[in-house]
Amino acid sequence: MNQKTLYEKYGGFAQINRIVMAFYDGLLDSDEVGPYFDDVDMKRLIDHQTKFVAALMGGPAEFGDDHLRRAHASLGITDAHFDEMKAILGGTLADHGVAAEDVATVLAAIESRRGLVVA
Amino acid sequence: MAIEAINEQLLRAVGVGVALFDGEGQTLSFRNDVFESWFEEAEPGISLPALFPTLDVEAVRAALAEGRRYATETTFRKKRRTIVIAQTFSRAIIGDEPVLVLECQNISRIRELESMIESYSNMVERNTREIQREKEQVEKLLLNIMPRAAYEEYKSFGVVAPQKYEAVTVMVLDFIDFAAASQRLAPASFVGELNELYSAFDRIGEQFACERIKTTGDTYLCIAGMHDPGMDHAAAVANAAIRFIRYLERRNANAETAWRCRIGIATGPVVGSVVGVQKYVYDVFGPAVNEAAAARDRAAAMEALVTGAAAALLAEGPALTAPSGAGAAAAGLRALSAV
Repeated sequence: MNQKTLYEKYGGFAQINRIVMAFYDGLLDSDEVGPYFDDVDMKRLIDHQTKFVAALMGGPAEFGDDHLRRAHASLGITDAHFDEMKAILGGTLADHGVAAEDVATVLAAIESRRGLVVA
Repeated sequence: MAIEAINEQLLRAVGVGVALFDGEGQTLSFRNDVFESWFEEAEPGISLPALFPTLDVEAVRAALAEGRRYATETTFRKKRRTIVIAQTFSRAIIGDEPVLVLECQNISRIRELESMIESYSNMVERNTREIQREKEQVEKLLLNIMPRAAYEEYKSFGVVAPQKYEAVTVMVLDFIDFAAASQRLAPASFVGELNELYSAFDRIGEQFACERIKTTGDTYLCIAGMHDPGMDHAAAVANAAIRFIRYLERRNANAETAWRCRIGIATGPVVGSVVGVQKYVYDVFGPAVNEAAAARDRAAAMEALVTGAAAALLAEGPALTAPSGAGAAAAGLRALSAV
């Protein structure tokens, strides 16, 4: 049987959109990872975050490994930056009522892709 | 407190950015803290064109001269964020002097949300298209194993109730020396041949409103009149049978493998139903099916035999002749004349 995705469990896009916006704010406000977005177009970044959060929670988007690798290849992202992004996302999810074990699941999914993102 | 002081306090307290220019935008005379936080160069004395170089000042003045407000947007980056400010210009008279009032609202969040909705809609629309494609695939597959009417019933109710059709005409066809051909030909070319033959029968059948119900090995079974009781189902099946034989004759003249068929046609009642719980198959049962199969068994190569009941309906249809076999004639069967 199909298991309920986190996306459905937490109320679909009606609720997830708040996580998208809060995560977007968190990244831009961060002095660690924010500078990566200095020259990124707002529309593009929002589009990316919407798909990213939806994909993480099992919503209607998918990120192929190739796509992730290509998107981050030239950015020179360090482990510290990756950790900061994870911390921001973990905090955002917790702030929006996502249960600790579900946050852990999402973060583990991200962790498994560290090698694709970190230079 | 004087009324002017109260007004100024109010302008400072509101959440929108407000700036006042003397005359038609010559010099800035007042801006509140919100306005200043967005436009740091907005020092008293600066002119409107100097503050907003890309603003169409002439358009602002023209609108105000006509007593209208003028609305526009300005965008800038502030600490890697795109800030979008909606600006509305209007005119007021303070004392006896005309004043240009500029109200500003931060609509960045609205723009961000719009972008998110757009992104989400695209995502959902793409998914919807994919689901639609999959649905069509499933529909195509199911229509291969059951008639459309049964499929519609299955779609609406999740089951197909067995249904009795009082008068339909059934055709049962098979091939002579089928088993031998299946041994002689390579599997791929054997299946290829069969596909070609059955596809041709399907096409011809469709022209005469005959619906293929199933194929079992070399047996091809089709029916007319199930979903259109008013049609001349016996003539439809007889005409299709004649064309099946003609098709084979033409094909045999040029093809490596010659296929010779036997056809039985019967009119009578059948029951149609989906059989199976996990693996569905739509099938028909009843006297007409059995009689058509029995007629087929008595048919010679490239002969189509018709039962008495079917023949009775063919008074104005294709011509009938005596069957080639004595047994067939004794059984009351008639043969379709291909002419």
